[in-house]
Amino acid sequence: MSNALILAEATGTWPYVAAAWAVVFGGMGAYAFATVARGRRLSKKVPPEKRRWN
Amino acid sequence: MTTETAGPLEASDSGPTSTGSRTTMILGIVTLFALGVLVLLGLILSPAEENQSDAVRIMYIHVPSATLSYVGCFLTAIGSAVFLWRKSRWWDLVAYASAEVAALFTAFTLVTGMLWGRPTWGVFWVWDARLTSEAMLMLLLLGYLAVRGIAADYEVRAKRAAIVGLLLVPNVFIVRQSVQWWRTLHQTPTLSLSGAEIQGLMLFSLFTGFIAITLAFIWMVIHRFRVAWLEEQVDAEGLDTAIAERRAEGVVS
Amino acid sequence: MLHDAWLIARKDLKLEIRSRVALNQVVPFALLVLVLFAFALDPDRGLLEKATPGLYWIAVLFSGLLAMQRSFAVEAADGVTDALRLSGLAPAGIFLGKTLSVAVQLLVLEVLLGVGVAVLYGTSITGWLLLLATIVVATAAISTAGTLFGVVAAGLRVRETLLPLLLLPVLAPVLIGSTRAFEAALSGTPSEGWPWVGLMSVFAAVYVVAGIFGFGPLMEES
Repeated sequence: MSNALILAEATGTWPYVAAAWAVVFGGMGAYAFATVARGRRLSKKVPPEKRRWN
Repeated sequence: MTTETAGPLEASDSGPTSTGSRTTMILGIVTLFALGVLVLLGLILSPAEENQSDAVRIMYIHVPSATLSYVGCFLTAIGSAVFLWRKSRWWDLVAYASAEVAALFTAFTLVTGMLWGRPTWGVFWVWDARLTSEAMLMLLLLGYLAVRGIAADYEVRAKRAAIVGLLLVPNVFIVRQSVQWWRTLHQTPTLSLSGAEIQGLMLFSLFTGFIAITLAFIWMVIHRFRVAWLEEQVDAEGLDTAIAERRAEGVVS
Repeated sequence: MLHDAWLIARKDLKLEIRSRVALNQVVPFALLVLVLFAFALDPDRGLLEKATPGLYWIAVLFSGLLAMQRSFAVEAADGVTDALRLSGLAPAGIFLGKTLSVAVQLLVLEVLLGVGVAVLYGTSITGWLLLLATIVVATAAISTAGTLFGVVAAGLRVRETLLPLLLLPVLAPVLIGSTRAFEAALSGTPSEGWPWVGLMSVFAAVYVVAGIFGFGPLMEES
């Protein structure tokens, strides 16, 4: 663990933390946005009686 | 899980113009709130760990992502099995939707795992049993999604995909077992916090991570399911129109 | 069912013997792979001998993939799939027959490649019992999974690219297992190899069951 510790002290781990969180939150956001946009586009082509959710 | 609400059921009004409904709207708001709490806890309130310092914060998103990638994989297998058994399109689309979302979470797990590995081990990748089997899971899911993407009749595609989806679970088990045996020959570090117990605010943050990411997973599966359902309708619609046109041509000539 | 399997296997093998594609193209390809490994790695430093188990099984997988592609290409070509369906043979029988014919071709390949590595890489062969057991179960595992995913990809425009994508990740445990077992046998510690033989047997059993039950629905449509 000591090597890792030295490395962590020297470089700081925040950039990695920020990148990891950005990837997950950005990825979820992008996927959610793309899915909703796709749904809206497709909804226009489908008659209303076939798109009832609950 | 709560995907029960995703199916098209009774008519109420003129129909929504998107994949959203009141249930998913509420679910979405709760999810956003939970993600906000997770950011607050994971990045600000929770303490840095002794050995790993701030790198430990990656755990709050990495571990839930990994768990949900496996949950999605199981859901795909269950959906495939029920589809083969009952010929239920609903379950076929559940399998499809959860496979795609599972692939997304597998990608998150791999990327966050690598970003966690660099500061703790000094390298992005080690042939750790868990990382390796996650990578294999990604490849298996990509294979499944490739079958979903083939240009063929619905029946052909769904049946073949269901066989592949059903085999995901035994494959994952065998892969995990083999990779574990393979790696125990060479002792390598794992992503666990060796020795240190996770407790207090760190444990609570991890718990929040599980809840927030699970909610997001459910929301995404429901919306992806509805998109797949709409695609299905558009395909069928297109076919109906084409047949109707052909019939019309026949009448004219 | 077993009778049907035998009929199918005999038909396929007869076809292979008469067309000689396996003999004229797949076997030379397998040997070519062995030679390419020697070019890629330095043959003078004993690297080849050390890496023999891995190189051997990679060569088996890649050349076996060609044999499996063929096993379904011959069916799809002239609408034989429809004929098979109409023939009233049990789907499980068709699956087992196809598997058997692929397994026989793989065994021939493996023997030739075994001679190849012994001669070309100068690997001294020890631990015969474990080697043979590994070859038998690994062949069973590769041919059952290959046949099942072969029919999943059969008849599609993208089959040549889809089959490797589906099959190779699935066969990863077999590659790990067979390579470790060979290493154990060649290094004179066979006791380390037997658990892998067990794991690959489980794999083969899973795929035999999946194939017997899955072939029915798959044959219905395609």
